[in-house]
Amino acid sequence: MEEKNNLIGKAVNRIDGVLKITGKATYATDYPAKDMAYAVLFKSTIASGTITDIDTTKTQESQGVLAVITHKNAPRLNVKGGLRGGALLQGPEVYFYGQHIGIVVAETFEQATHAAHLIKVEYHKKEEKIDFEKLAPSAGMPQGKELADLFRGDAKASLEEAAVKIVETYETPIEHHHPMEPHSTVAVWEGENVILYNGSQIINGAQASAAATLNLKPEQVRIISPFIGGGFGSKGGQWANLVLTAVAAKMVSRPVKLALTRQQMFNSVGLRQRNKQKISLGATKDGKLISLAHETTTHTAIDGEYIEPCGDCSKIMYETPNSLISYRVVPMNIILPTYTRGPGKSTGSFALESAMDELAYKLDIDPIEFRLKNQPERDPSNGKPWSSRKVIDCLREGAKAFGWEKRNATPGKNRIGNNLIGYGVACGSYPARQRDSSAVIKLTRNGNLVTATVEIAASDLGTGTNTILAQTAADGLGISMEHITVKIGDSNLPPAAGSVGSVGAASFANAVNDACTKITDELLVKSNKKFFVRPTASQLMISEHINSFDTRADAKAPMEAEQYSAHSFNANFAEVHVNIHTGMIKVTRFLAVTGAGKILNPKTARSQIIGGNIWGIGMALSEESIIDPRWGNFATRSFGDYHVPTNFDIGKLDAMFIKEDDKIPNKMGIKGIGEVGIVGVAAAVANAVFNATGKRVRSLPITPDKLL
Amino acid sequence: MRPFKFTNTKNSSAAINLLDRNPNASFLAGGTNLLDLMKEDVERPDELIDITRLDLTSISSITRGKNAGGVLIGGLGKNTNAANHQLIRKDFPLLTKAILAGASAQIRNMATNGGNLMQRTRCSYFYDTAMPCNKRSPGSGCSAMEGFNRMHAVFGWSNECVAVYPSDMAVALSAMNANINVMQKEGQIRSIAINDFHRLPGNHPEKDNTLNHGELITSIELPKNNFAAHSAYVKVRDRNSYAFALVSVATGLVLDGNKIVSAHIAMGGVAHKPWRASIAEALLRGKAATLANFRLAAEAEMSHAKPLFHNKFKVGLGANTITAALQLASKGTDAVA
Ligand SMILES: Cc1cc2nc3c(=O)[nH]c(=O)nc-3n(C[C@H](O)[C@H](O)[C@H](O)COP(=O)(O)OP(=O)(O)OC[C@H]3O[C@@H](n4cnc5c(N)ncnc54)[C@H](O)[C@@H]3O)c2cc1C
Ligand code: SF4
Repeated sequence: MEEKNNLIGKAVNRIDGVLKITGKATYATDYPAKDMAYAVLFKSTIASGTITDIDTTKTQESQGVLAVITHKNAPRLNVKGGLRGGALLQGPEVYFYGQHIGIVVAETFEQATHAAHLIKVEYHKKEEKIDFEKLAPSAGMPQGKELADLFRGDAKASLEEAAVKIVETYETPIEHHHPMEPHSTVAVWEGENVILYNGSQIINGAQASAAATLNLKPEQVRIISPFIGGGFGSKGGQWANLVLTAVAAKMVSRPVKLALTRQQMFNSVGLRQRNKQKISLGATKDGKLISLAHETTTHTAIDGEYIEPCGDCSKIMYETPNSLISYRVVPMNIILPTYTRGPGKSTGSFALESAMDELAYKLDIDPIEFRLKNQPERDPSNGKPWSSRKVIDCLREGAKAFGWEKRNATPGKNRIGNNLIGYGVACGSYPARQRDSSAVIKLTRNGNLVTATVEIAASDLGTGTNTILAQTAADGLGISMEHITVKIGDSNLPPAAGSVGSVGAASFANAVNDACTKITDELLVKSNKKFFVRPTASQLMISEHINSFDTRADAKAPMEAEQYSAHSFNANFAEVHVNIHTGMIKVTRFLAVTGAGKILNPKTARSQIIGGNIWGIGMALSEESIIDPRWGNFATRSFGDYHVPTNFDIGKLDAMFIKEDDKIPNKMGIKGIGEVGIVGVAAAVANAVFNATGKRVRSLPITPDKLL
Repeated sequence: MRPFKFTNTKNSSAAINLLDRNPNASFLAGGTNLLDLMKEDVERPDELIDITRLDLTSISSITRGKNAGGVLIGGLGKNTNAANHQLIRKDFPLLTKAILAGASAQIRNMATNGGNLMQRTRCSYFYDTAMPCNKRSPGSGCSAMEGFNRMHAVFGWSNECVAVYPSDMAVALSAMNANINVMQKEGQIRSIAINDFHRLPGNHPEKDNTLNHGELITSIELPKNNFAAHSAYVKVRDRNSYAFALVSVATGLVLDGNKIVSAHIAMGGVAHKPWRASIAEALLRGKAATLANFRLAAEAEMSHAKPLFHNKFKVGLGANTITAALQLASKGTDAVA
């Protein structure tokens, strides 16, 4: 790789920063279209049953209404086309409260909203399955083979023999993604083809599922999504709203805009499921783990299965000869759960790392020392060597930077005024992978100025994908960043993986980097010269008087990556203040130390990590959605009830990266940081709360009432 | 949102007349509560009378008469201005603290003092038109009674409604014995004691307060008090800012050395109106300002609470919060928790 510019690894400002703060970045609803009509979804008010009648007379007569679409007049769609969560208006059945049951299209958004209020729906109600507490004992084996029981040794017998043990159940509630930009789509038909402006984490995935659902060929659907206002997994797989916008546009023969309201976001685009996780840990007297069982009970939808893999961290974090990872699941009348930042790892690490803290207390060992004592040499789940694993450095350097030595291990002893102060630590991990992606580079010369366009159907969740690709191309081509145009977020561009599962940076940047190398190689061949020092693509364009030159690279993960276990790892440190009267908690300091391979841009990387930390703090202290078991609706239905952290909840945040040079997972040594930032956070906070107060709260969120 | 007629006027009598002739009309002040409720189809006025241009925004001292030394706060003044006005900060810091504990800076910049008094409950079933709710739709039932009632009342509820009134400002006003001045048709003025302004739900939870349709809140009057140096507002909530109270306590102590001459205590988040903790107040009169006495009084007050299934914690939390607020007030208004 050419490193003439040396921009990779530099804290470069976002190339789209100005566009964003001046409001010029075009999100889905910002696309203008002539004659736009506005669609509003209406939703079921039962959780299970069938619609016996929908009276839309008043709605149809209401001012401005262009169409009312229900299962009675909706076109037949392919329900197996790959969209998540059903709700495609294909029949009268209702599977969950808040399922879309129709669309009103009108001249204005206000008219459509008003008209939707006039609809009268009659149902035949069936008994709903909604009370998780009651249903959990009947949970059964998952259908998915990848979540079958995983045994190593005999976890039960070894637990019996363990000198010191804990067996506890940890609960996490339903959480929502709630990206700043609610899911929204503008659909514009051009003959038999449709353009969908829609925030999509996987551009080609959105294209494929929309096309299949609409019974079209992929090339008839174009997804345009240059900017995404966050997604956190909810814009990974696409939901009914994407295709229903296209349906509405077809039916009124006009472009249609459909944006979910914040309230509709609660039951339209998946959620993080509720989990009960039983952790059994056994250790020898001197603190060697000999048994680890992580048994998760959870729910899924009636008409589909998704289970977040809560046991994933428990598979790899600690050395133990005996382990059991299992899942039991019960279908409920609730929207399909889905990938939610750090799926399984964020919630699973809360259980595992709380239990590790509990056991450290029982053993009377410092929780950091306890973790250090149980580090595995190889991946315990498959025996593969680590590509790299910097947990020990994360813990040691983090402890130093955080001032861990100031922690008083005895709860309740560190007090200032009416506040008890506590320190907590917890670790986390997330897999590192590269997925197939292609990139095209187009070079143009004008005199001595060479400019480049990078094309790839990548997506930018707001994390800085655009910027790191510009940095990569600048270094790879020897062209300064301002002369590079990055084109992403369009299914007409070369196909790419998605911004999901922390594969984005590794997949996109390696594709661009490969294309840079390839174009330089091709220019060298074309020059038919030999150089002592390999010239850059830019220098070759100039020296050889080439006016334009293109190439495409199709990048894949290295073959040998398979033989290793590759993950990002972290250690999280939290300091909390807990008011003795009110039980209110403030996270005054939080430090995440991460070993995640090559950090392409420390500035955008830090933002991602602290963003994950903030959600983790919300998960620990305030975020929870509650279902009313009588109806199956969410009793928490707005940001007034569903409490995401505010600025005032967040104290000083720090992100440190451990240097890691690991070219095994991919050529550029990128491991990905999108998910790992939330993993281990809730446990670090909960452990700090215990250290402050002596109260072990095993059910998130830790609201003031739980500390009384 | 349902279609509605929009009228505005600069004249108070005209506004009152406009409202009076249409039973389905509403005043529109800052709109931070009313418009949200209209978007959710909970409030369905067919006419909005914009009163933001009425000349009712000033804050002034009362210099004459039996209320001399008090302050008059315009009904259409913004919450932010009331909180930060020098007269209020100096002589009525309890009001400043309570207002600033509510909502967010942006909302307080829009919200008016009258609108704040009139804001409706945050019971999530009240907001969800698919759910039974006696307050929204009398006779339909109360979903919260057997439902998710963690945020709900522990004092003064009825079988018809267990909602709490959400204002922070009004809790301070209650402790300060404020009066609400309202103008009626033909320009008559009526003054309502704050503790008679909001009502308990009884059999008519649809009525939040005793204001009649056609009456306009013109000002809030704060009588002079002697506890500016010893007042505190403690609000317990699920996050540190921008959340409604689980329990809040406004208190002012009049002290003679370490002796309590009088204690003024009101609670938020526990009832359908600001809850005056008169049992605790009576117990503290003449006693020494000690933590033990604060706790005794707080527990005596909370021993009368009747919690629901999900809010049993409010009994203990209420006692803790009263104790914490009294302790803070006894140390002085500028003390930090
Ligand atoms: C997200 C959010 C969080 C909030 N958090 C808090 C909080 O923590 N604590 C808190 O105390 N409050 C909180 N609030 C509520 C806020 O304080 C109220 O919405 C605000 O005070 C209402 O004032 P307004 O002028 O906007 O009233 P509007 O919405 O304009 O009106 C509300 C009602 O009052 C009537 N009205 C208004 N003025 C008069 C008048 N002069 N005479 C007669 N009737 C009148 C209107 O007709 C209407 O029925 C929050 C609000 C929001 C949206
Ligand atoms: S508590 Fe009151 S507002 Fe809430 S559902 Fe019951 S009647 Fe309605």
